[in-house]
Amino acid sequence: MQLTRRDFLKLSGAGAGASLAGGLLLSPGEVSAATPGPDDLGILYDSSKCVGCRACQMACKRWNKRPAEPDDAQGIYDAPQGLSADTWTLIELKKRSDDDWHFFNYQCMHCTDAACVTVCPSGALFKDERGFTAYDRGKCIGCGYCTRFCPYGVPHLEKQTTAELLSGKTKTAKCTFCQDRIAAGIGGPFCAETCPVGALVWGQRADLLTTAKARVADLQGQGLSTAKLYGETEAAGLHRLSILFGEPGEYGLPLNPASPVTARLWQGVFQWLGTAAFGAAILGSIGAFFVARRKIHMEEVE
Amino acid sequence: MSVRVKGQGTTFQIRWIPKYTTVERFLHWLHTFTFLPLALTGLILYAPWLESLAQGPAGMTVRLIHRAAAVLFGGVPILYLLLQPRRVALHMREFLSFSRYDLLWLKAAAAYYLLGRHTDMPPQPRFNTGERMNALVMVVGTFTFGLTGLPMWFAGSSMPMGLYQALVVIHDAAFIVTVTMFLIHFYLAVVHPLMWQSLVSMRFGSVSESYAREHHAMWYFGEKRAKQMWEAEHKSHEEQGKEKED
Repeated sequence: MQLTRRDFLKLSGAGAGASLAGGLLLSPGEVSAATPGPDDLGILYDSSKCVGCRACQMACKRWNKRPAEPDDAQGIYDAPQGLSADTWTLIELKKRSDDDWHFFNYQCMHCTDAACVTVCPSGALFKDERGFTAYDRGKCIGCGYCTRFCPYGVPHLEKQTTAELLSGKTKTAKCTFCQDRIAAGIGGPFCAETCPVGALVWGQRADLLTTAKARVADLQGQGLSTAKLYGETEAAGLHRLSILFGEPGEYGLPLNPASPVTARLWQGVFQWLGTAAFGAAILGSIGAFFVARRKIHMEEVE
Repeated sequence: MSVRVKGQGTTFQIRWIPKYTTVERFLHWLHTFTFLPLALTGLILYAPWLESLAQGPAGMTVRLIHRAAAVLFGGVPILYLLLQPRRVALHMREFLSFSRYDLLWLKAAAAYYLLGRHTDMPPQPRFNTGERMNALVMVVGTFTFGLTGLPMWFAGSSMPMGLYQALVVIHDAAFIVTVTMFLIHFYLAVVHPLMWQSLVSMRFGSVSESYAREHHAMWYFGEKRAKQMWEAEHKSHEEQGKEKED
């Protein structure tokens, strides 16, 4: 008994079919646009203007109905201690010496290449057509991948009890660019609309970029040589631009915040690999079954 | 254990040889029927084209099923180790021993499983090369799932991000390898027309004497004798072949 040409073709066909099925069934995880679009919106934070009043924090909590976190306070300046499921924007004091004080506003950077969107299995986190990273809480299943892949540590799982830890029934939360305000056409991110000194402004990202570059040049002209723009190209372009004094690292901002290679490996390589392997195994089995049924004569073998 | 079968004027006996203990069979099926929901719920979170099943309350249920099944799935090796440690040691020793007969088996397997040509199949111990490969993949896979899954479940938010990401990727790799192995195992053990006895043995615990002799000669005759028999037979085949060529 020999493997005939027909059997060989049948098996090869099964293999090719498996690869094809792999390609059709599996579009790689949602791929965010490579560059920010011309109509993209953005927020610009200018730390040279910020007076640390924290009106942005209050506005954010108020509009998004997030409760205060009175227990998470230490001293006067920094409260709460960090971003959380209830604190989506936060002012921190950066005190380098007695006469070198800055503030910095932490919130979602709305990356163009957003790791959270790449890893989200339910499509709860997605790129809005205006560029920011939007969130549909109804779709979230609380897996928490976004909280562990975001290079800025922005998304957080809601506080969970032990029972909820076992069942995993808490959801993620993060700044949504006030997507509901944008959608309803009643304005932009409430933090930027509230800022009394123009340290946080919102608008077309392209316009903000022009403004920011001019401002940095202006500051450097005034002798503030460490002034610098952050967010033009990071993670394929952030939709939250920042004017810093000093290196990004001094603010805890990553120099290369692109989606971690693990997210790429997982969503880009392994999903293809897996579907190809499963498809080949299934179709190969089916092909092999028909060959075996035709070729094996039970009465001979038994 | 033997069964008498009455045919036309003849009576012949099938002798049944125990292969698996009751505990082993129970744990095998427990592993199977927890692996299936784990693989399916894992697939939902893994494949973008199943995204609609992974959303909102449905997705939450998927995750809950995954965790509940995981506890039972991880309990299988622990139970086996507690209930029958000597059987575990016996089998693990066999799973880890590979010889040149396994290379011969791998060479001959395609012709056997596709075309039914069994003359080149070398003698095998209680588990053949393929079964041992499957067993090793499942043992290593189960521990990999546990050692990556439990930390992600209980310490996900407190461990370094890089570590968590590595665990996700390792968990995924184990998923691909074990599910592929499972599909092959399913085909050979359940679907393949020649292998019905293996399924019967995992249900009732025994294989027929003829099956044991044919498929697991090293187990049936003892390793030394089975090898001698095969070498003798193989040599005579080769000599016959040479004579024909001459």
